[in-house]
Amino acid sequence: MARKILRINMADLSHAYEKVPEKWAKWAGRGLTSAIVADEVEPTCHPLGPNNKLVIAPGWVSGTPAAPSSGRTSFGGKSPLTGTIKEANSGGLSSQKIAKLGLAAIILEGTPKNGAWYTLVITKDGVEFESADDVLGKGMYEVDEILWKKYPNKPAVIGIGQVGEEKLSNAGISVNDPENKPGRYAGRGGLGAVMGARGVKAIVVDDTDGPGVEIADMELFKTGRKKLTDAITSHDLTKPNGGLNSFGTNVLMNIINEAGGLPTRNFSAGQFEGASKISGEMVAEMVEKREAGMTGHGCHPGCIIKCSNIYPDADGEELVSCVEYETAWAMGANCGIDDLDYVAMMTRECNDLGLDTIEAGNTVAIAMEGGLIEFGDKEGALGLYDEIRQMTPLGRILGQGVEATAKAFGVHRIPTVKGQSMPAYEPRAIKGIGVTYATSTMGADHTAGYTIAPEIAGVGGKVDPLSNEGKAELSLTFQAATAFVDSTGYCLFIAFPILDIPDGWAGMAESVAGVMGMDITGDDVIPMGKEILKIERNFNIRAGFTSQDDRPPEFMRYEKLPPHDEVWTVKDEVLDEVYAWVNGK
Amino acid sequence: MPTINITLYGDIAAHGGGRHIASLDLELPEGARIEDLFQTIGLNPEDRGYLFINAVLHDMPGLYASREVPLKEGDHVGIFSIRHMWPYQYRDGIRLSDDLKEAMKEHGEMRNTYRDQT
Repeated sequence: MARKILRINMADLSHAYEKVPEKWAKWAGRGLTSAIVADEVEPTCHPLGPNNKLVIAPGWVSGTPAAPSSGRTSFGGKSPLTGTIKEANSGGLSSQKIAKLGLAAIILEGTPKNGAWYTLVITKDGVEFESADDVLGKGMYEVDEILWKKYPNKPAVIGIGQVGEEKLSNAGISVNDPENKPGRYAGRGGLGAVMGARGVKAIVVDDTDGPGVEIADMELFKTGRKKLTDAITSHDLTKPNGGLNSFGTNVLMNIINEAGGLPTRNFSAGQFEGASKISGEMVAEMVEKREAGMTGHGCHPGCIIKCSNIYPDADGEELVSCVEYETAWAMGANCGIDDLDYVAMMTRECNDLGLDTIEAGNTVAIAMEGGLIEFGDKEGALGLYDEIRQMTPLGRILGQGVEATAKAFGVHRIPTVKGQSMPAYEPRAIKGIGVTYATSTMGADHTAGYTIAPEIAGVGGKVDPLSNEGKAELSLTFQAATAFVDSTGYCLFIAFPILDIPDGWAGMAESVAGVMGMDITGDDVIPMGKEILKIERNFNIRAGFTSQDDRPPEFMRYEKLPPHDEVWTVKDEVLDEVYAWVNGK
Repeated sequence: MPTINITLYGDIAAHGGGRHIASLDLELPEGARIEDLFQTIGLNPEDRGYLFINAVLHDMPGLYASREVPLKEGDHVGIFSIRHMWPYQYRDGIRLSDDLKEAMKEHGEMRNTYRDQT
């Protein structure tokens, strides 16, 4: 049975199934959310107004039998934080369940009358518009519990916390994990506020007796699935007891710190003396010492990398799942805080309130720089989340993210691009990521430019990655390849084994080709990825963005970053090269 | 005799008396090199991943470009297990030693690891 679009109108509380039009037929995941947003959302609309839409789409292989680590859901719309097009994706339960209901995408549009709030219940029989009175105003931990008690079959719960209800620009969208905790987030860009603007507190997805995912060529799919699975389970980084499985993404903390690239105290230095205390190695030690929690946790069914963790408190109770690298960095090093328990407590606050942890931690760092509290004041930092919870005037400012808070406190060291704050890699030290931060269609985004099989993608051998030349072509290639992988439904971390094991790459392409009946080889990845980027770039141009927005923050050009006293040296002309091919310039 | 500080990360921390992280100061003979440091702490180079000296990357998993790098008083050496990961896009543009650049040019510049993964 062919996939369908489910269109939900919140103005008249109706829903309809539509055939996927030919122009969208080859897309899934990010490719599809961006195509729909570009076609149906006016780029100059107010992101919180009635003309923005929230689009939710699983990837090509999501919901297929045992496709490894394939549970990513893409969420798309116009971002309240950046004003650009936005795709944020999440692990958790939603992707496979939406796909198994035979849905290519869910489009949420319109605004309920009289400020009403709803919980949408999506099953094989359609959509029920339930009152959200029982969950409104509650944090996501309680919301997930209530909805699993109310609806059988352990459904996916997509939801927003109080921050999304108040439509603040740092609102993320929560997806429950297999233990029904709100630990997986489509965090960046404020799409939780867009969901709030549609009057939807939560979406329950129950795939019981759903039609499943149609696979065009089962033998090709199985061949590809095996190759990819073998690559993932044999590579040092992704195999059982490998790097990611043992220490999670927070395995990066000490490495980036040793390299002098760990943004510290609001991007004022590249090394933090307390880095080891908030690292993935320390998470593993705490789990062992407290004999509680776990590492090697899977964020969605079928994940074979299992890089997540469950962090325990001092009493051996689960405190939060999970402490990722970006989160530990934002709450920790960038705020001068070296206490992992406080990092975990602040992470839990974000998961409950519905905040993106990167933006939230960076916002606290800005408030510290502005003198509200001192760098390193862990109690003070934790207390700021109470301000947000109570929606005090200060809390509302903090809930809007870094730029709003910087303005309120007169701070000029603002580490943002297109309104979104930078993640945990200092661009003055790691210049390649700086090119991606500056030029990505999403604002400063560390997941926009993954290194994926450059030889196969046609870059290897043509560009010297060890020099400063060719950074534009490299960044574009990485961004295009990432856009493709973001459309598959696979976790982006399959990029690690694919880079070193050619069969893994072939397997990924074959599994997608098998599901969709498309003839995909390595030669198609970059062109398809560039199609997605062109859609996104043109939306941003129509929204008013120019090449002047593809720039790192000014302070990085003159403030020297210790330990190597580096400044940003990549020329603007290089940044302009990245997207010069769009519209033939 | 120069004293250097080393930090060992991951399962190789056992060579420094730690579980997942061990940091220690070591006195080495004058003219000691990385190879001598490994012998002193009993670390097999094949068990080693990334290696930093004073915030400059000197080695990658599967390579041994740092073997003959001399150590001096006050140096800090950070050594990671082979299981540690550092995707290319998160190290594109960092400080590399000249020996490592040459080794990467010979074996391929953008790999996550130079150990045989098949």
